[in-house]
Amino acid sequence: MSATDDANDYNAAAVVIEFKRVGKTYRSLLGNSVKAVEEFSLVVNTGEIFGIAGPNGAGKTTLIAMLLGYLRPTTGEVEIGGVPARQFVEHRGIGYLSELIAINPKWRARTSLVRYAILAGVPEAEIDARVDFVIELLGLAEHRDKKVKALSKGNLQRVGLAQALLRDEQILVLDEPTHGLDPVWTQRFRDIVTDLRRPDRTILIASHNLDELQRLADRVAIIDRGRLQRIVNTGYEQTSTTVAARFRITLASGDDVIRALVPGAEEAGRGEYDVIVNSIPELNALLADLIGRGALVASVVPERSALEQQFREAVGEVQ
Amino acid sequence: MNPGESTGIPMNRTQSTAVAMNRGRLGRYSLWQFRDFWWERGIAILLIGGLWGYVVLEPLRLTMGPQWTAPNSPAAGMTLQLASAVVSLAVLIAVNGIVSTDRKQGYYRFLFAKPVNPIQYYAQLFFVYMAGVMIAMMVLGSLLRIILPSFNVLNFLIYTALIYVAMGGIGFFLSVATRFDWLTLAAVWLGARILRGVYGARGDWRSKLVELLPPVHKLDNVANSLIANRTAPGTDVLWLAGYGILFLALGLVLIRKGQIAD
Repeated sequence: MSATDDANDYNAAAVVIEFKRVGKTYRSLLGNSVKAVEEFSLVVNTGEIFGIAGPNGAGKTTLIAMLLGYLRPTTGEVEIGGVPARQFVEHRGIGYLSELIAINPKWRARTSLVRYAILAGVPEAEIDARVDFVIELLGLAEHRDKKVKALSKGNLQRVGLAQALLRDEQILVLDEPTHGLDPVWTQRFRDIVTDLRRPDRTILIASHNLDELQRLADRVAIIDRGRLQRIVNTGYEQTSTTVAARFRITLASGDDVIRALVPGAEEAGRGEYDVIVNSIPELNALLADLIGRGALVASVVPERSALEQQFREAVGEVQ
Repeated sequence: MNPGESTGIPMNRTQSTAVAMNRGRLGRYSLWQFRDFWWERGIAILLIGGLWGYVVLEPLRLTMGPQWTAPNSPAAGMTLQLASAVVSLAVLIAVNGIVSTDRKQGYYRFLFAKPVNPIQYYAQLFFVYMAGVMIAMMVLGSLLRIILPSFNVLNFLIYTALIYVAMGGIGFFLSVATRFDWLTLAAVWLGARILRGVYGARGDWRSKLVELLPPVHKLDNVANSLIANRTAPGTDVLWLAGYGILFLALGLVLIRKGQIAD
């Protein structure tokens, strides 16, 4: 069995992360309470890149805080590898990138990584090599001696990611990992995550960026108002949209053909047409027809990704 | 390196050159904690203590002339009071935010995602800071001894250790339990003095209740006897140290039983 087969064989893989009917209620001193998470159950298996998506305030960060043992669930349990999550973290460690990068602003970029390497248990003889490796990997060489408070948001984000990669972690938890990164480094981050995929490693990514999750994750949990709404397999072949999807087709030539074939197509100018289809096979049939009749198709882009479509359905924003 | 190129991260275990799963090396990290102490607290303690001593004692020394070092000079008593106050201030500066800063600023997020036990981390931090306070007081005590040869630095350090444990233990607990630990520690310290002053001698249930408050009233006696002659009532020393150790332990239990995040 190949590494890829291993990674996608969810049923056979050992359970790594499990939320068991987890709830979290925040209570104020005045007695007010807010339910951040309710009856949340989820199993994330070894080898997966798993996404968590949800609107602001959906409970993503609370879930991650409970996964790391920073917050205690009000109800239910969070386990990693069959033991309480906090126990796992204290014994094995987790590569964690938080949404808010909180590093003492007086520390310097490189020395902060040395500190985290020591706490991560990197042997003394390997610290320099490992720290220099992540500095190079994240393009931080020219910022290595800067104080953290002097780093731009994007560079700080990269230092945060660097400290998460100091060890050969079995579990990586990345909360809004591309927040503040420019397009070049967003793409670079995706390459890094793709390279990090391994049959015995689990990567959890919480993000607002559905396009990013669509590209990186095998499955995505959509949560809203603290509840798991649905789990989406991100592969197109596994996607079953329940509502019509809109695609933008760009033609190099053959405008007459598409007007004749799809009278309802909306012209967006410069050879671009928006069409609505009910399924991927229907889209392919349309494209085959277009090409068969002499049209030259330059590109086909979904107006919304399959994940975005599911997301909108799940949080009640279907249009 | 361009986007899309290989990042050079090992793809599987057989290729892996990365680091094996070890526990965090807390003992090694104590050197960084010690460094942080000096940059963030130790220098401030030295400056404040040094300036305070200079401003109070130097004019007195110049005024008193030879009387300054004479036997039974009032200078010894004043110096002792000042030294005692500097120790209390140093402990307050040292333990202020010892836990709560990490929570308020969110530093705990990366620290405790590593294979590190927060109880061990903060217990170590408490004792590293204690070492820092002792060194700072050794420096200040040695400076004081230059102008007042009868001042016993060793006795002063024993007193410092006792007060660090007594007052620092309570400060540690408050830093775990609240976000405004310096304020609550000052309130507890001052409140205990006031309540003991008001109810301590009444002989009713209230006087028994105030007995449970931090034994700050014992500080003056202990300071006088311990710094001056290295003798102090054993029960007072035990009561002070025991109180601090109890609250230090409670703070550590609270870290385990409570939440790391706010």
